[in-house]
Amino acid sequence: MRFKKTWGMGLTVMLAAGMLAGCGSNNNGGTPAPAETPATSTNTANAPTEKGNDPVTLKWALWDWEATAYYEPLIKAYTEANPHVTIEYVDLGSTDYMTMLSTQLSGGADLDVLTIKDIPGYANLVKQNHLEPLNGYIGDSGIDKAAYGGTVEQIQVNDEVYALPFRSDFWLIYYNKDLFDKAGVPYPTNDMTFDQYEEIARSVTSGSGAEKVYGAHHHTWRSAVQLFGILDGQHSVVDGNYDFLKPTYERALKMQDDGIIMDYATLKTSSTHYSGVFYNNSVATLNMGSWFIATQIEKVKSGESAAVNWGIVKYPHPDGVEPGTTLGTITSLAVNQKSAKKEAALDFLKFVTGDEGAAVIASTGTIPAIKNAEVLDSIASIDGFPTDENSKEALNTFKTYLEMPIHEKSADIEVILNENHDNIMTKNTSIDQGLADMNKRVELVLSN
Amino acid sequence: MQTETKPVTQKAGKPWLSKGIRDHLVAYSFIAPNFIGFALFTLVPMIFAVILAFVKWDGSNPMNFVGIDNFIRLVKDTTFHKALWNTVVYTVGVVPLTMACALGLAILLNQKLFGRNFMRTAFFFPYVASLVAVAAVWNFIFSPTMGPLNNLLHLLTGIPIEDLPRWAADKDWAMFTVVLFTVWKNMGYYMVIYLAGLQGVNPELYEAAELDGAGGWKRFVNVTIPQLAPTTFFVLMILVINSFKVYDIFINLFAGADNQLNDSTRVLVYQIYNTAFRSLDYGYANAMAIVLFLIVMGITIIQFRGEKRYGQ
Repeated sequence: MRFKKTWGMGLTVMLAAGMLAGCGSNNNGGTPAPAETPATSTNTANAPTEKGNDPVTLKWALWDWEATAYYEPLIKAYTEANPHVTIEYVDLGSTDYMTMLSTQLSGGADLDVLTIKDIPGYANLVKQNHLEPLNGYIGDSGIDKAAYGGTVEQIQVNDEVYALPFRSDFWLIYYNKDLFDKAGVPYPTNDMTFDQYEEIARSVTSGSGAEKVYGAHHHTWRSAVQLFGILDGQHSVVDGNYDFLKPTYERALKMQDDGIIMDYATLKTSSTHYSGVFYNNSVATLNMGSWFIATQIEKVKSGESAAVNWGIVKYPHPDGVEPGTTLGTITSLAVNQKSAKKEAALDFLKFVTGDEGAAVIASTGTIPAIKNAEVLDSIASIDGFPTDENSKEALNTFKTYLEMPIHEKSADIEVILNENHDNIMTKNTSIDQGLADMNKRVELVLSN
Repeated sequence: MQTETKPVTQKAGKPWLSKGIRDHLVAYSFIAPNFIGFALFTLVPMIFAVILAFVKWDGSNPMNFVGIDNFIRLVKDTTFHKALWNTVVYTVGVVPLTMACALGLAILLNQKLFGRNFMRTAFFFPYVASLVAVAAVWNFIFSPTMGPLNNLLHLLTGIPIEDLPRWAADKDWAMFTVVLFTVWKNMGYYMVIYLAGLQGVNPELYEAAELDGAGGWKRFVNVTIPQLAPTTFFVLMILVINSFKVYDIFINLFAGADNQLNDSTRVLVYQIYNTAFRSLDYGYANAMAIVLFLIVMGITIIQFRGEKRYGQ
């Protein structure tokens, strides 16, 4: 018995110790962590361009590795020039990516390079002090901010910038030429007002049941509907008053009631992806970001997209506004402030967001942040890009408004706007009530 | 045990620790592994959560103590009220319906029926099946225009498809749809619990009731129901707790690709998630979580009292 007791005690201690040890090794967060090599010390950040030959492994947080064409070429191009660097990716998934990233960083995950997907998430990370300020590095390493066409200034927070854009997407109208031919309706043009856009969508709508062709397609994102309202340049979605959105929602709901666009709630509960309905010839036009160009080209080649005759035109605009006025989204790279390999991470960031990175990104049909005539030519000359002149011309923008401008409270505002967008489109509330709720709650957020 | 402890006694003759304390220590040492785990992963976070409800914190910057401000905000927050209301409606819909269906099935499948085991498996299957997969199938079946359900209803009743309920996509039918889904998905599990309860009922009681001239219904009311009372209380408690904690079912049925619920489908746990991780308002989110905790605890206490009074 005495033996048993001692044995029992021993076992207990062992179990307890095992538990503590297990807890200790859990601290690496959710990422598969190979043995860490703190090769570069953060204190040597001032030694420029000294590419030490100690091997470095950088961890890059991103989403949709499989579905994105340029990640792999970028890594390949960089590691060929810098053989001592290994880049591992951590795919946090597309849904709620920025929420995942912020949670990972708060938990101390050892990520080095961070992809920034949207502005509200970026504003949150800045507030949480997760991002390395870049002004100093930009000055030291001679990066030319002007090359980014004003996008760097758009993500400045209190005169400091915490990320550099590598993609700058803007919204376009995609259309299915075959469906227009069949309906005998002339193709959309590069200069359409909202009224003309709606008229075209109405005239190309036809059929019913499985044969139905919808004239337009508004995806369930808030941006796809609500932001028609900001294109006149008079308002922004962080001002705190949303009455100006009324005509926009009236138009969208009317199109929905008349069967010109698919029903929002049905799209949502069936999780219908915007690409699917375009591929299978269910919609004649689609308002979507320029990121869809590369995917559509690829899917036509693979046979997945049956919309083989397609084109793009500039986004519709309000009366009296220059054509080419559209919405924009910036995708950028940042460095984790707590990274142990900042110097190497910054060098990679400089490569991806710079000219070399832009060339690699453009070669995959994606629009890089450094966007000049040369880059646009190279995109338009990709095999599979529509050959008509209008489609090429559509790549030239006049003015881009960010989907969400930078604001200290943009994440909170985004939540409120999304909720009310959903309520209005599913008719949980009337337009007036929804807008009043936005006014009331955003007001509260802004005054807090 | 008593005689065995002798050899442990120290040379001096006096025990190092009194026997009582030693026995306790041994007992604690056996509990320790589990308790350390509980303390580390449950108790400490719970205490931390209570503290968090009284601060403003974004997860990174220093916390600010704000007293009961978070709770005052809750009182005025209409979005939170909506979420709370939806959760209550959902619970009221799910709990009685699941209990009735589970009990009915259990009684049916407790008879000597042809293919009984197959039927039991069939009803238990939805509980085992992956939520993501079955939710996708339901959304397909219930799809307003393309779904087989509405097309079937259209054939049977002749009502045009546009005028039939739009189920999950309709703000007025969404809650009904999710209640139906939950009952279907979970009743198999509670059926098994009821089956175990039924098999524990002494057959002599039925025999005695029969001799007294009790018919089928009377036997059910006077023997089955009272005998199943402990099972019923258990099922009720678990169901209520699970209904208040619901999240995954709503996300899978309604949230779409951007994980967004609206006024007719927003539930408490979603609201907590949204506040904590999207708005980075951990303090406020924890205040909501405390409210949820108090509600669940309150209901549990009432049920325990009820069980003591009526359960025997």
